[in-house]
Amino acid sequence: MLHSLKPRAVSRSLKQSIAREVRFVVLAAVTFLMAFPLLIIIFTAVKSDPEMVLQQFRLLPREWRFDNFSAAFQYGDWGRYYFNSLYITVVTVVGSLLLNSLAGFSFARLRFPGREAIFFLFLVGMMVPYQSIVIPQFVVLRSIPLAGGNDLLGQGGRGWLNTYWALIVPFLSGSFGIFLCRQFFFSIPKSLDEAARIDGARPFYIYWRIFLPLAKPVLATLAILKTAHTWNNFFYPLVMISSRDMYTVQLALQQFQGQFTVQWNLLMAATLVSILPMVAVFLLAQKHFVAGIVTSGIKG
Amino acid sequence: MKRNRLMYDYEAYVLILPNVILYAAFILIPAIGTIGLSFTDFNIFQSNFVGLRNYTRLLDDARFLRSLGNTLYYTVGTIVPSLVLGLLIAVVLNNPVRGRAGFRMVIFLPHVLSVVAVSLAWMYLYNPSAGVFNQLLRQMGLPRFDWLRDPDMAMPSIIAMQIWNGLGYYMVVYLAGLQTIPDYLYEVADMDGASRPRKFFSITLPMLAATTFFLIVTGVIFSFQVFGQVYIMTRGGPLNRTTTIVHQIYYRGFEGYQMGYASAMAVFLLLLTVTVTLVNIRVGRGRGADDAA
Repeated sequence: MLHSLKPRAVSRSLKQSIAREVRFVVLAAVTFLMAFPLLIIIFTAVKSDPEMVLQQFRLLPREWRFDNFSAAFQYGDWGRYYFNSLYITVVTVVGSLLLNSLAGFSFARLRFPGREAIFFLFLVGMMVPYQSIVIPQFVVLRSIPLAGGNDLLGQGGRGWLNTYWALIVPFLSGSFGIFLCRQFFFSIPKSLDEAARIDGARPFYIYWRIFLPLAKPVLATLAILKTAHTWNNFFYPLVMISSRDMYTVQLALQQFQGQFTVQWNLLMAATLVSILPMVAVFLLAQKHFVAGIVTSGIKG
Repeated sequence: MKRNRLMYDYEAYVLILPNVILYAAFILIPAIGTIGLSFTDFNIFQSNFVGLRNYTRLLDDARFLRSLGNTLYYTVGTIVPSLVLGLLIAVVLNNPVRGRAGFRMVIFLPHVLSVVAVSLAWMYLYNPSAGVFNQLLRQMGLPRFDWLRDPDMAMPSIIAMQIWNGLGYYMVVYLAGLQTIPDYLYEVADMDGASRPRKFFSITLPMLAATTFFLIVTGVIFSFQVFGQVYIMTRGGPLNRTTTIVHQIYYRGFEGYQMGYASAMAVFLLLLTVTVTLVNIRVGRGRGADDAA
């Protein structure tokens, strides 16, 4: 750092441009360190088997083996795992957005006895980590009547365990989503729905035709949070899924590691492909992603 | 009568019904159910009332007590460095610099990755023979470590990974906090000839108190839930030195099928989280009043 007692215009601008360069170098170093594990994933994924046993560190592969990806995906039915994850993510995101915005609209825009009390009950849920209620959730999913060999009382079979429903339905309603939608709908001028009401519109029509289309920004934020949460979730599939054909990508990847720890290049190839969807979503919708992460706070 | 009926939208009950059912079945009833199960010896097949026995057992369970210590170690070990580093990066990034958006993007990127992907990548980095860290240490002539299998290194290794993984979150939240500090404070300080460090400690840091508090609260709540890293990388070992509260819940409840006992642990986690959240709400309210005054 340069020191001058009374900086004049010239030395000041020199000082500023030096500070700029220092900042650039510092940030470049930090960014390289942060990117380093990612670069390791990428370059290890295309390294050849002989190169993997060399004890010498080298970031770039000597020989680029793009057939590692197809080799990695020969272990297991990855098409099925990707379909499972995609299906669960799409249904959870679309379903929860509709349900959360519908409830958020009702709590913000409709008047009914018990509104505040019911909303308060939903708020309580924001304090509950799902890891703390996973055992009763497991019991509830196992006891769904007439599902998975269960009788009318939910006994005898496995219910929704080891099905898509077990990974979708518990995440359809959500305190945070309802709260966020309600806050958003409060900010919309009253005149909008009043005019529709004078024309005789019913509440659901007002929600569907007026409020839902207006909610795009908040829905985009929610959609991204929910996508990341569903795609990346590991704990829930680990608990609820038992058969291979129901594996999500995360579960399959973790099982893959258990079997092929020595083949790091193939493991990194599978890992790299598994993170691409989230990286793509992040790059395409960075603004919403960051907004969602910053506001979400209590529950991610 | 007619007027009243016009004022209320009874259809609202129909509109919120799907949410109410799902919320009751999967959040509210399970939350109460956890408490109920914690007084039983439920093991999927049968369930008997055992009073407080699960709770007295918790106090004698060396593994569970160890998991509490480990979770606390992890919590403090991740949050404190993340706060310091996140703030420093945010302060530097808050100035004009080339490639600002690109730096911010790459630093945040690890945060969007799944716990499985991150854990697997770092298991490779930490691998004693094939791993990058030991190869680099060897090339520099430094001693190597058995990162995840050394009882004293395992938790710090997981913590280091987590700091890398979450740093972007701290940075982004601090950047948002920095935006709220009015420029005139720095302009006034400049007129008084305040030095850079002085401005940082007398303006930036105090003005970010609320942001820091928010990060501590969310950090504590997330840290209490840590599971995937531990399950994938160390299975709670070596010598239970990395097992955590949620790992114990999983281990007892879904590997040992002692679901009643695991529920007592879950109640503990629930109470811990609720307490932190209520403290957050109370402090938030207090601060709101200060701001108004």
